[in-house]
Amino acid sequence: MIINHPLLGPRDSAEFVVLGDACLIDRPDGMNAAIEEMHDYAYIRDNPAGEHRELWYHEQGDRSWLVVTRSTLTHEVIEVELARNVARARGRSR
Amino acid sequence: MAEIALEAAPVLGGTSLELSGNRIVERDDLAIVSIATPLGGEEALAEALRNGWSLDVPEPARSSLSGTVRAIRTSPDQMMLIFPHATPDAEAVVQERLGGTGYTTDQTDSWIALEVAGPDTISAMERICPLDLQSFEIGGTGRTVMEHIGAMAIRTGDDAFLLLSASSSAGSFLHAVETSYRYVT
Repeated sequence: MIINHPLLGPRDSAEFVVLGDACLIDRPDGMNAAIEEMHDYAYIRDNPAGEHRELWYHEQGDRSWLVVTRSTLTHEVIEVELARNVARARGRSR
Repeated sequence: MAEIALEAAPVLGGTSLELSGNRIVERDDLAIVSIATPLGGEEALAEALRNGWSLDVPEPARSSLSGTVRAIRTSPDQMMLIFPHATPDAEAVVQERLGGTGYTTDQTDSWIALEVAGPDTISAMERICPLDLQSFEIGGTGRTVMEHIGAMAIRTGDDAFLLLSASSSAGSFLHAVETSYRYVT
């Protein structure tokens, strides 16, 4: 599987480690969130047949976190974004 | 009390190999200092690099060279400065010119540098390196895995690369590179 890194171009997926669902970016505020909300954040995941957004880490490359949108049916990589840009677009500071 | 004097030895014993017109040479004279960009401090760091070394901040997957000092982009907010330096104070020397515009860490002893050059270099490298080194411009860089060992490659000439890898697995890395050359020569 080839991941088209937004800065470095096509890279082999062997250079990456995958963390899982990109919903991990949206962590609730642990000081205020209800216990159900934290439970869902930690344990509940969708398991879609089709498009899936995942966090990938370019460990053996430039060590950037990416949000990779890929199809779980075909393994086609549809979109690759820098995770920091995704987080900033949601109003986070870094 | 006994007089004890410690003398630094090159990690790979100063390896210098000649294989059918190709060379593998350990560069033990290089200091390596990483520079991380403070949040929002890109401009100040770029100016300090220009004033200190006449260096441009390298684009992703690129390096910039000024005399014998090379800056290598390693990640969105980090680069490495590589330059010949004899004494173990490289970080202080770099920080003096940066004046606090970047976060520096001395990496000299964590890495080994191999200079590989010769007509069979591309053939030898493409056996173990997943990056398309043939398509690298001179000055192009990439970090990847060769023979399960993390390594960085910088194209320094048509048939020449500088390879950086961890000093802790330097022997295995040299073995991989040397073996690959032997297969293609």
